[in-house]
Amino acid sequence: MPYSNTFKDHLAHPRNGGELADANAVAEETNPVCGDRLRLSLRVRDGRIEAVRFLAYGCAPTLVCGSVLTEQLEGKTVAEAMGLTRKDLLDAIGGLPSRKQHAAALAIETLRVALEAGCSELLNNK
Amino acid sequence: MSNFRRVYLDHSATTPVDPRVLEAMLPWLTEKFGNASSVHWFGQEARAAVDRARREVAALIGARANEIVFLSGGTEANNLAIRGLCEAAERYGRHIITSDLEHSSVRGICEALAKRGWEVTRLPVYDDGIVRAEDVRAAIRPETVLITVMLANNEIGTIQPIAETGAMVREERGRGHRHLWLHTDAVQAAGRIPIDVETLGCDLLSLSAHKVYAPKGIGALFVRRGVRLVSQNVGGHQERERRAGTEAVPNIVAFGAAAKIAREELSRHAEHVRQLRDRFEMRVKESIDDIVFNGNPNQRLPHISNISFRFIEGEGLLINLDLQGVAVSTGSACSSGTLEPSPVIRALGRNDELARGSIRFSFGKDNTDADVDYVMDVLTRAVENLRRLSPLSRKAILETV
Repeated sequence: MPYSNTFKDHLAHPRNGGELADANAVAEETNPVCGDRLRLSLRVRDGRIEAVRFLAYGCAPTLVCGSVLTEQLEGKTVAEAMGLTRKDLLDAIGGLPSRKQHAAALAIETLRVALEAGCSELLNNK
Repeated sequence: MSNFRRVYLDHSATTPVDPRVLEAMLPWLTEKFGNASSVHWFGQEARAAVDRARREVAALIGARANEIVFLSGGTEANNLAIRGLCEAAERYGRHIITSDLEHSSVRGICEALAKRGWEVTRLPVYDDGIVRAEDVRAAIRPETVLITVMLANNEIGTIQPIAETGAMVREERGRGHRHLWLHTDAVQAAGRIPIDVETLGCDLLSLSAHKVYAPKGIGALFVRRGVRLVSQNVGGHQERERRAGTEAVPNIVAFGAAAKIAREELSRHAEHVRQLRDRFEMRVKESIDDIVFNGNPNQRLPHISNISFRFIEGEGLLINLDLQGVAVSTGSACSSGTLEPSPVIRALGRNDELARGSIRFSFGKDNTDADVDYVMDVLTRAVENLRRLSPLSRKAILETV
């Protein structure tokens, strides 16, 4: 399948690339099969995601998933963010070829690890 | 985008059909439609065209016309050469010598033979991507029947010591090891460097037409007079019983026309692509740091440049370049649909990161200096942007927002 315009736009102009100096929820996950890597840093205040940045090493879908995910996350509560699924991300990107869908799985996994590490209290009190 | 342009730097993957080649083949798709095996006038007209093309392809590599077998392309040529020779020579021994940087077709055939009990020695290519002739010599055993090493590599362009190996094979035969043959895959080398089968001393040599500005679906195998092969396609008498199947007359005519042009214009085109490639590499060195050039810079095809960009993944870079009109290829696993990055770059002793970040730029006769300028502009920005996003890079942005 051809890549969507959203995909091309995010690849050419990635949003929220970088790292937050004052993040309180951070995770870096690697796809053990292909070696793709995604790092998310989030600043969460009062149960809401105030800011988020991503770094990615991998094929184009991994970079795009990082970029699109950061746009989806801003302003969401931690609970809402935990509810995001791989399908939500794929829909936002406009789909990915089946052999590239692991990129979305890596992004969602990284998000969950970051939130579980940085916001465990919030998640436990939910 | 008003200034959008396309620059094709993937001539090792395939080349566009030269307009002169297209013109030569077109009548054979329309009014000249005869089957070259037919006895009537239509057939004889086609037969004569096939014979002319055979002479041109032979002339490109210094062979005799009757030593050329037309078939579907490089992969089939490698299959007929290796499987055909091994099946014919099995009674003399079951050992093959090959290298760590062969095209996937040769790798695949050798793996299939190994599963059937053949012993396969894979020679190392060291950090410069070149097989050592002394390693070939050391690997030869009494039961060795075939040495198959490519003439020039498809990813990094390194040229292998085939003439030395050919001389060694002749020496071995002189010492009584008569059942030893040499095959070389010259698919990437043809049309880029002069090839002469006498100088190389090879018995079998594979060619593909679509790498020399002819259409896909046609190739050839040089089979030295006296070398016996077991045909892999049976059921017809075509190609002197070596490859059954109706001759693809338009494609064969096109290959002949392309071979003639390649022979006549080789030095001019080689010099042109060498200048572009060298200028490109000089500018890459000036503009981009943390790069590794892959392959011996002095012993390689004139049109290939293979560079590993640290901290970034090849497919991410490839698609970035593609969105800006620049076509290249990569050793990244993501791109090839496999899990392992380029075995060729890994064979140089490079780590996974460098193998995954390798990009092949392969120039062609129609590229220009302006293409190099455009690619440099796009490439420099793409590498910078991807490194900014890379968790492996020191260039990632740390910010407080």
